[in-house]
Amino acid sequence: MSEMQQPRSAGAGAAGSGAAGALAEIQRRQGQVIRAALVPVWYWWAMAAPIIAYGAARDSGNVAVQAIVIPLAVLVMAVLIGATIPEVRRRVKVHSARRTVARTVAAIFGMIALVDIVAIGTAASLTAARVPHPITIGCAAGAAVLVIAGPLVNRYVRGLMLREARQRLNQAGQAGGRPA
Amino acid sequence: MSTARFDELIHAPTRLEIVSLLAAAQWADFRYIRDELGLSDSALSKQLSTLEAAGYVDIRKGFVGKRPRTWASLSKAGRQAFDEHVAALQRIIARSQLHAGAGPTVPGH
Repeated sequence: MSEMQQPRSAGAGAAGSGAAGALAEIQRRQGQVIRAALVPVWYWWAMAAPIIAYGAARDSGNVAVQAIVIPLAVLVMAVLIGATIPEVRRRVKVHSARRTVARTVAAIFGMIALVDIVAIGTAASLTAARVPHPITIGCAAGAAVLVIAGPLVNRYVRGLMLREARQRLNQAGQAGGRPA
Repeated sequence: MSTARFDELIHAPTRLEIVSLLAAAQWADFRYIRDELGLSDSALSKQLSTLEAAGYVDIRKGFVGKRPRTWASLSKAGRQAFDEHVAALQRIIARSQLHAGAGPTVPGH
């Protein structure tokens, strides 16, 4: 195990380019795993739609509309969360350090807080200013934040995971360079 | 601590793809690996069996609802062999660059 074995027939240049190709393949496959471990972009749009429907139902003032649309919107969001996230987690679970997990959780909760602040803040301000349909507009603003921030959170988390995967590869290389 | 060891078993193209996927994951679903790599069920089963026989991969079977599912993960020995293989690849690159008179770098950096 301590001696490095290499194919003897290959020349240094050919072996080098073959090894570089293999390392590039390893990095590409690791990126693929990390992408698969994140929710798809359509998920954020699908979550935004029931938020706006909820706001419109509240503004309608019609009890029958509210009785149908509000539970339906909540149901759609629950089904989306209940179907998409477990399916993503069932496919593959990425090897992540505790720090990466903590940053991911912080980014998600930060985004949820931002959506709530924007939606509630906008609706409250518009209500105070007696603007028509304040809750619909507030929810639409919150949904817009979700649609923009969701993919940004995806990108941030993907970056964290990719950096961690590359660090692990480099650490393997450094450890392998030491005398056995 | 890892040492550099070129592993012929891992280096075979399909197995390198499988092990690379599993190295980034705690575990992965059989169907996910099959679809990502564009393999047939039998081709993937064969490669996973080879890796499992070498002690590099652990296979876990279970049910999600009524559907049978299979998950694969790298074993401790598999992760060590992969690290050693990566180290060997990096050393080969460094040596070839020394021959070419360039400084060692890692692809993608």
